[in-house]
Amino acid sequence: MFTPINWTNLFSVAGAAIVGSLAVVLLFSVGVRLLVNADHAKAKASKGDVKALRAEAANRAGSYALFALSFGAVIYGILLIIPNVIPSVK
Amino acid sequence: MDTIYIVGLVVVLALFFDFTNGFHDTANAMATPIATGAMKPRTAVAVASVMNLAGAFLSTAVATMISVGMVNDATTLKPEIVFAGLTGAILWNLTTWFLGLPSSSSHALFGGLIGAVAAAAGFGAINLDSILQKIIYPALFAPVIAGLAAWLATRLAYAITARSTDDDLATGRNRFRYGQIFSSSLVALSHGTNDAQKTMGVITLVLVAGGLQKDGSHVELWVVLAAALVIALGTFSGGWRIIKTMGKGLAEVKPAQGLAAEVATAATILASSKLGFALSTTQVASGSIIGSGLGRSGGKVRWNKAGQVVLGWVFTLPAAAIVGAISTALVLAGPAGLIIDAVVTVGVIIAIFQISRRNAVTHHSVSSEIEEASEVVESAKQRKAAAKAAAKSGKAKK
Repeated sequence: MFTPINWTNLFSVAGAAIVGSLAVVLLFSVGVRLLVNADHAKAKASKGDVKALRAEAANRAGSYALFALSFGAVIYGILLIIPNVIPSVK
Repeated sequence: MDTIYIVGLVVVLALFFDFTNGFHDTANAMATPIATGAMKPRTAVAVASVMNLAGAFLSTAVATMISVGMVNDATTLKPEIVFAGLTGAILWNLTTWFLGLPSSSSHALFGGLIGAVAAAAGFGAINLDSILQKIIYPALFAPVIAGLAAWLATRLAYAITARSTDDDLATGRNRFRYGQIFSSSLVALSHGTNDAQKTMGVITLVLVAGGLQKDGSHVELWVVLAAALVIALGTFSGGWRIIKTMGKGLAEVKPAQGLAAEVATAATILASSKLGFALSTTQVASGSIIGSGLGRSGGKVRWNKAGQVVLGWVFTLPAAAIVGAISTALVLAGPAGLIIDAVVTVGVIIAIFQISRRNAVTHHSVSSEIEEASEVVESAKQRKAAAKAAAKSGKAKK
């Protein structure tokens, strides 16, 4: 009477959910980490460390790039579920 | 009675159901960013309602699952049966809400419809395979999947932002608050892709049953528009509840953890909507909040609380099915039965609305299921505080 579970569907939901969440959270967390590094460098720079000034800029730029990527990953995920936007996924 | 009147009545009731769904679930998406101060309550509610509106347009997989997948041949169905199922769902939903019992409006809807169809045409009329694959199995697995994703994501976020040994700088985890503005909007969007669809599915089902639409494989544009607008309106009206309860149950949820939970919830619901899984979005969000609570160091499950939450989930579908079957028996008895069913439903709606307005708002009637679920996990800090309090009272006794 009970039909067997369609594991393919459930695994694809599980896979998409886990990979998707980890990707977004990874990008965002590393962004946060770089932002903290930037603050750290800024504190050093204010003490007259010239090298730290460059490190601050690099870290800050990196963190913004990662936030943007994280946002991009979310948008890509949304586009995946709309029919016919990305043809390879049915 | 004329078919067209019954179809009209079902459309109105389905939209009412849609409204209460949005009203009820605003908190699911927006309680955390308000509690952590990432968004002002008014802004959060407005954003949630716009995102719900947008989400309703993204896909119709869940709607066609209900209009095609639940019943073997919808054209043989009488519109009265859909009416009976819907009133059963609404009655069960409002009564449990009033009594403060945990429930899922989505499962009440499925239960009501399944019960009504089974009572009218026997179990053979129900597409059991589709119901198992698209409703029952996802109901069992999706909260676990969301919980696992949230657990992993929380551990990842905490590992990446952990203090390195040689500096004493802040971890910066409060910055996750800003990410929460986006992640909670995403939850609201995913809510629109799954919950607004349920209303579209029911309306399409009754249009097919009433002979106004050939088959349920597509959803009319006006149905999409109506369901999307009404769920957005309901979400907007639900805002006052959040303002009253904010921070009460969710104070323990930290920004990084909240972000991980919300991303996991949204990812699970969006992936499920794509495949036409009709989920209880509340159950998925509860799974995530529990998973993320366990992902923080020292989180422990309060098993009795977890049991209470799960028990409410298990009961909803069969209980609503019984109510749906009873109202079907009433409706099939003749036009008088249909009128009685309609009067009872509208009466209960008005009575509960009046009572809930007159009485002071109690915590149980306004707290969200997500808050309940967040209490399932006891954090290390809470345990320490409890131990301290116990030691203190022990000393006092001596």
